[in-house]
Amino acid sequence: MASLGCAFVAACLLLLVPFSSAGESCLKPTVEHQIYTTTEAVTSTDTVFLVEFDLKCSNAIKNPFLYADVSGRQLPVSRSGDNLYQVSWVEERKNAPAGTYTVKLFDEEGFSALRKAQRAEEDVSTVTPLTSIAFSHKGVSQGPIVSSELLAVVLSGLLWYAAYSAKQRILS
Amino acid sequence: MPSSGGKKFTREEELLLQDFSRNISTKSSALFYGNALIVAALPIWLFWRIHQLDITQTQTIILFAVVTLLSTWLIAFAYRNVKFSLRHKIAQKREDAVSKEVLKKLTPVEAKKMSRKEKDERILWKKNEVADHEATTFSIFYNNTLFILIILVASFFLLYTFDASVYP
Repeated sequence: MASLGCAFVAACLLLLVPFSSAGESCLKPTVEHQIYTTTEAVTSTDTVFLVEFDLKCSNAIKNPFLYADVSGRQLPVSRSGDNLYQVSWVEERKNAPAGTYTVKLFDEEGFSALRKAQRAEEDVSTVTPLTSIAFSHKGVSQGPIVSSELLAVVLSGLLWYAAYSAKQRILS
Repeated sequence: MPSSGGKKFTREEELLLQDFSRNISTKSSALFYGNALIVAALPIWLFWRIHQLDITQTQTIILFAVVTLLSTWLIAFAYRNVKFSLRHKIAQKREDAVSKEVLKKLTPVEAKKMSRKEKDERILWKKNEVADHEATTFSIFYNNTLFILIILVASFFLLYTFDASVYP
């Protein structure tokens, strides 16, 4: 009877194993990130931000669900590999000035706390994110004021004019 | 040209006529065609690297070769025409300076020995040489600047909307 009881407990534990890690939060998270932001305005209409990062936890948690918050806007975080994630968003150019942007990353627990604070209209800055990624966006360049084609044409025009006036001087 | 009576021109007359002649020396001709080829080939770089025209296609290569050769001939033609229109004027403008220089180069003994006619011939010959050289080089410069200006304006502005690809 006792052995039957032990087997039941063991079976229950085994069933709980897959769920235990999902509930566990990532400890001492470290991220290595790569950033892409739109740099020039000639070939694009909006500014794109793309943050790719690799999350490492000291307790070796694998692929936890993450959510991102950028300037008060919540964004989904997609997973592109083992502990590899991506967050991307598009902004209108006028809303994306040059400067430092911070992507706050939350696990499920932190994200629900954030939503709760938002619903209660409390100060969301009190909710501590799992980790955050700060990066600088240098703004978009509009290209040179004078296009190189125009510059080439103007220079060759000046050269031709110099030659033409010299010719007129000879012929006069 | 000799007259119908068979009278030959003197050396001085020939030199004077050379000033108005459309004939060009082999050296000038080589200079013209060499320069014209270089300038006519420049647009290949423009269309290949800037306008991204694929030059590996046989059609494009043939097109480039034909147009470059045609442009070479036309540019050399323009060189000749401009040279002709300038040479006489340049000769007139440089006459004084050339005669001074030629006379300065003569030693006193030579100057005494030489007849007036010989001196004039020498001046004329030198003047023709100077004018020929100046007209040749100026004509090359003038036509090159004009050709490049036309090519740039045409390719960047007039034909801006043309597609770079060559359809089979």
